[in-house]
Amino acid sequence: MADRYSFSLTTFSPSGKLVQIEYALNAVNQGVTALGIKATNGIVLATEKKSSSPLADPSSLSKISLITPNIGMVYSGMGPDYRVLVDRARKVSHTGYKRIYNEYPPTRILVQDVARVMQEATQSGGVRPYGVSLLIAGWDEGILPEEEIEAKEGEEGKKLSGKTGGILKGGPMLYQVDPSGSYFPWKATAIGKSATTAKTFLEKRYTEGLELEDAVHIALLTLKETIEGEMNGETIEIGIVGPPAHHLLGVEGVEGAVGPRFRKLTPQEIEDYLTNL
Amino acid sequence: MSSPFSINGGACVAMVGKDCVAIACDLRLGLQALTVSNNFPKIFQYGDNVFLGLTGLATDVATVSDLFRYKVNMYRLREERQIAPRTFSNLVSSSLYERRFGPWFVSPVVAGLDPKTGQPFICGFDSIGCIDFAKDFIVSGTATEQLFGMCESLWEPDLGPDQLFETISQSLLNAVDRDALSGWGAHVYIIEKDKVTKRLLKGRQD
Amino acid sequence: MEVLLGITGKDFTLIAASKAAMRGATILKASDDKTRQLNKHTLMAYSGEAGDTVQFADYIQANAQLYSMRNETDLSPSALAHFVRGELATSLRSRNPYNVNLLLGGVDPITHKSSLYWLDYLASLAPVPYAAHGYAQYYCLSILDKHHHPDITLGQGIKLLTLCTDELKRRLPIDFKGMTVKAVTKDGVVDIQFDDDKVVKAA
Repeated sequence: MADRYSFSLTTFSPSGKLVQIEYALNAVNQGVTALGIKATNGIVLATEKKSSSPLADPSSLSKISLITPNIGMVYSGMGPDYRVLVDRARKVSHTGYKRIYNEYPPTRILVQDVARVMQEATQSGGVRPYGVSLLIAGWDEGILPEEEIEAKEGEEGKKLSGKTGGILKGGPMLYQVDPSGSYFPWKATAIGKSATTAKTFLEKRYTEGLELEDAVHIALLTLKETIEGEMNGETIEIGIVGPPAHHLLGVEGVEGAVGPRFRKLTPQEIEDYLTNL
Repeated sequence: MSSPFSINGGACVAMVGKDCVAIACDLRLGLQALTVSNNFPKIFQYGDNVFLGLTGLATDVATVSDLFRYKVNMYRLREERQIAPRTFSNLVSSSLYERRFGPWFVSPVVAGLDPKTGQPFICGFDSIGCIDFAKDFIVSGTATEQLFGMCESLWEPDLGPDQLFETISQSLLNAVDRDALSGWGAHVYIIEKDKVTKRLLKGRQD
Repeated sequence: MEVLLGITGKDFTLIAASKAAMRGATILKASDDKTRQLNKHTLMAYSGEAGDTVQFADYIQANAQLYSMRNETDLSPSALAHFVRGELATSLRSRNPYNVNLLLGGVDPITHKSSLYWLDYLASLAPVPYAAHGYAQYYCLSILDKHHHPDITLGQGIKLLTLCTDELKRRLPIDFKGMTVKAVTKDGVVDIQFDDDKVVKAA
């Protein structure tokens, strides 16, 4: 009868707050800063890779993860909790979607699935909320923003996208998910210790019509503002959502095969961006 | 004779045309040789241009069509968009295979136009969800042999909507006339980019 | 040798069921009523395996009445037919399914449109202008094909029904002990006095 006492640890305080969730947010706000910037043709996710000891091997540490070929994720907060969520996100994108429709979920659907997992941890018995905030970046098939503008100028009559009607908006998508299970779409944002500083910086640097290369540049500049240690290919981690990376497919000459849009930059690539900073 | 697939009878066919597709079914519901109803359509719509034809055991035709209405409605609410024919076909496939060891006794046919490219799309399934993609036509039901013969001789590539209507109608009507378990009228859908035409054919009533 | 017949007309639906309750070749009762009223405007007739029929019909009747009590409104004949189909379809793939065939007739309380639904034990559902179950199908459907019109009056409907029962008396090898006949109209279900004693000799 152990389940008798397994009531939710997250209970309302008299003032109407759920303090467990606020504590979880505190854990996030002590975490290493992570940021994401959406460009017209892609997204960049970036974070600092901090190791506690000079003896640690940084090449085996990874904070940005691929979820589906077109979706990637980064976190701020507790590393172990993040790994659990990465596992769940990868699992649910197959069981809840690919195995049913034989295609990967659109970003919003995956975000909602992960957000549900996090929400359930605030209402279930015997568990604590996840101590992480996530940035989820992905590319969706559908009508691209620029195509939609062209279509609007063309003819007014036919609607390309709508709430429950037309085709889903495609292109780059960037979301933040919090321990409460709430999620927000962003053009650019940051989470973690220096989120406020980073967001102020991003507000100044972000412009509409940004290209992916510019976004990577801004991401590194923002990180530079907040970083504590040295900046190099070993201490910085960058993930991008960009054009299909056919070289990562592992095969050639397969008709209709498209490479993953999400990939992590190698330390060498990061070094190259840093020298051009 | 007492196969669940041929108790109630019925026929369905889908065809590809030039920038259009067609899907048609008969209207008979029977019990072995006895006809119970001549108003039992076997084609169901699940979006602006996604159609599913279901032949086989009548009770499963009703159950499965309702099941997909539920699944597609949930998809539309969740994703805020219409389901595409190819996605729907994969949903049909996985849903049927879920019942691998106690299948629905139906032979589904999907017809539609890809919402992004406008490309015609048709495919058929066995009762446990194996997809049969086809560039020309798909047949199902108790008149498959006759339908294969008719389609094989009448169908040609790049038929326009009107020619496609004639082709699919003649194929179905003449096929079911040589099958005791199907016929008694027909529904024919012609699906174009932004127009769907549904026609009711009276057919022989004997 | 159970007989179920249903005929729709302009403003009514006729439902008739044989009065004989049989067990093997023995007639146990000659005044059986194989119908249940589901609500004011809907009537259901049933045939099939002995225990299953009443059990299932009572279950459906109870649920229809429960709905009416809870919502202070009746389900339409169409809604009830689909509800019954759902229950029968679930039962079909259960460990021991109900072996029940049904005719469900009614008049829509708002539109006053008459309707009749044919349901077999496989949960195949078909809306029909006239229907029969069992051996009666083979004798009566052709008669109904020839003589039925959608806009017949109740009197014409009863005449048509007599035409069918005469043929059944003529052809069926076992006496089905006459018919319970009921009509659903906009005013509800009414019992129809039906002459069971008429003797029809085989040709």
